[in-house]
Order: sequence, then C-alpha cells, then structure tokens
Amino acid sequence: MKLLTANFVQCTVKACGSSPDCFPLHFDQQIPDLPLELVHEDVDFSPEFICNVLPRIEWAALLTTARELGNTQLPDAKPEIENPHAAENEQLLRDLHTLLLETQIIQGSMRCANCGHIYFIRDSIPNFLLPGHLVQ
Amino acid sequence: MFPTPSTTNLDVARVYEPAEDSFLFLDLLQEELPFIQKRFAAANAPTPLVVEIGLGSGIVTTFFHKNILPDALFIGTDINPYACSISKETSKENGDTRYFDVLRTNLWDGLRPGLVDVLLFNPPYVPDETVPSIENAVKTDDWLDFALLGGSDGMQVTSAVLDRLAEFLNLARGVAYILFCKRNKPVEVANSMRNRGWIVDMVNERKAGWEVLSIWKFRKVK
Repeated sequence: MKLLTANFVQCTVKACGSSPDCFPLHFDQQIPDLPLELVHEDVDFSPEFICNVLPRIEWAALLTTARELGNTQLPDAKPEIENPHAAENEQLLRDLHTLLLETQIIQGSMRCANCGHIYFIRDSIPNFLLPGHLVQ
Repeated sequence: MFPTPSTTNLDVARVYEPAEDSFLFLDLLQEELPFIQKRFAAANAPTPLVVEIGLGSGIVTTFFHKNILPDALFIGTDINPYACSISKETSKENGDTRYFDVLRTNLWDGLRPGLVDVLLFNPPYVPDETVPSIENAVKTDDWLDFALLGGSDGMQVTSAVLDRLAEFLNLARGVAYILFCKRNKPVEVANSMRNRGWIVDMVNERKAGWEVLSIWKFRKVK
C-alpha cells in the first residue's frame, strides 16, 4: 500500500462514519506479530502529476501519517505551487513524490482512533473486511 | 482498437477469467474515451480518482490506465485475496502506472466518501437464491462465486452499490459505469435511479450467448 492511500481510507465500522476520528487511521501503535515494514519502490517522477494530486490531499491527515511513519520534514501548510518546473519547487516535489508514491507499506497495521479497530496490511494489501460482529 | 492487456499469471481456478462481459467493458471504455478525457483531462484539474469495485484479474483497470487516463489515480477493490494480488501483477505486467493500489474489502468499504471520479463496476449479476457467504469462502478457500452470483434478480450486490452511489461518488464530476444483464431488469433500475436525481444512459449493449449484457452510465443532475 502506497503512503498516499492512507489519505483516501477511513475506518469502515458504521458507527465511526460520523466521527472525525475515523480518519486518518493511525500507524503509531504496531503489533509485535506484524512489524511495520516500509520499502522504497521506484516510480517515474513527474512534477505535474504531483502538482495535480496536491489539491486532493487532506494535508493535516498527511502530516499525521508521515510523522507516524518517521517523516517530519513536510511543511506545516499545504504548499501552493504554480509552476511545477520552477527550480525552487523541484526538491519539494521530489520529496512529495518519494513520500506519496514511492513509499510502500509492505506490512503493518492501522488503528482507528475512535473505535480502536485494527486493520492489517499484508503483502502491501490493506484488509478492510470486518469480523462478523462489526458488520451492521 | 487498443490491445487487450495480458494476464499471463492468472490462476483461473481462483480468479474470474476475463470473458465476454469484461471485453464489453473494454469496448465501452474505448467508446467513452472522448467523454472521459473531456471531463477530466483539463490541465491543472485535480487528478481524477478511478475506482473499480471487484476488479478480479485487473484487466479493466489496467486497460483504463494504459489507454484512457494514464495520469489518473487508481484504486481497485476485491473480496477475493487472490484477485487482490493478481490484479497488481496484471498492472505491472502491462507497464504499470504511477499510482495504483488495491484494497481487500467488501465493495468500497474503507474508502472516504465523495472521492470517486470514475466508478467501474462489472458486478456479479447472475440471479441466484442468495449471495455467497464470506464465512463459507474462508472455510473452503473458494472465492469464484463472488464474481458471479448476485442473489435475487442478480441485483443484490449492484443495488448495494447504487444505494451508496451518492455517498462515494464526487457529485460534481463523478461518473459510474455499471454492467447489467437483461435479467437484472436494467430499464426499471434506470428509471428508479432517474427518480432519485440521476442522469442515466445506456451506453452499450451486446448479445453474449443467451445473455444480453448492457452497460449504463450514471451521473448526478447538477
């Protein structure tokens, strides 16, 4: 699972849908049986692509996800980039590219801050299927 | 004609093998190329998110990122664990794309609301007494029925998606493409969705053996 995906998913327990704590899911507490494993996977860099993805990103949630995964280098506010090819933007766009698209979460778990449910990631695939008693 | 993506490593005992319905979907996407590109390819527009529910082999999503919108974001879902992994292989085998992830889930559970710009859904549309149970699939490790059996009128799974379309789709620019067979009574379904404020068009129809398959397009009235 790419790090960007953490910006698109939330707890799927029905009662959590109305809670602001159902998003983002948290990586801060991992379980011993499934230690967090991140790898770098090369993706072609396109400054335009990153620029056009930026409007979709919930920045506060991304800051939380990045921090919990060990990256504290992001600016506090979402950058506004007018020219993707300007030299002064290149480093920031490359950093975002590496973080969002090239950071693969191979295994680990994500926790809902509202209900505490834990979602496992194995072989890069997060599992959102709920046990029977949580399905309404 | 764009080439059909290859699926060399597909284990057809575990994951639905692309068939007439899948190919109808690919043909439709090709016909819809001008509409989709016009809707989403504007420079500086936020990148569209394309979601395929129940992506199976991954052939439809792969075709989409290869030929229709190469610079979009792609998420696929499947309840079948083997489909989740093989669909990523299918994408890689055909050149991959910058962003494609797969969620193992029921339909689109786990996605945040309002994000989907293009929904692609080739549902289990075959009428049957019930839809398969996950407990049973876990026990037998047989997931193929999930790709086929749609319960009463073959509509049980499609109805569950239509009932939450307004929740998951980006209502300003989102569009959903959903496949039906004639026994799903798509004309009645379309009328009831129109009454709920949707623009519904049949965009493709084809006879496949003794089945008549059609694909319908859903957008919200602005």
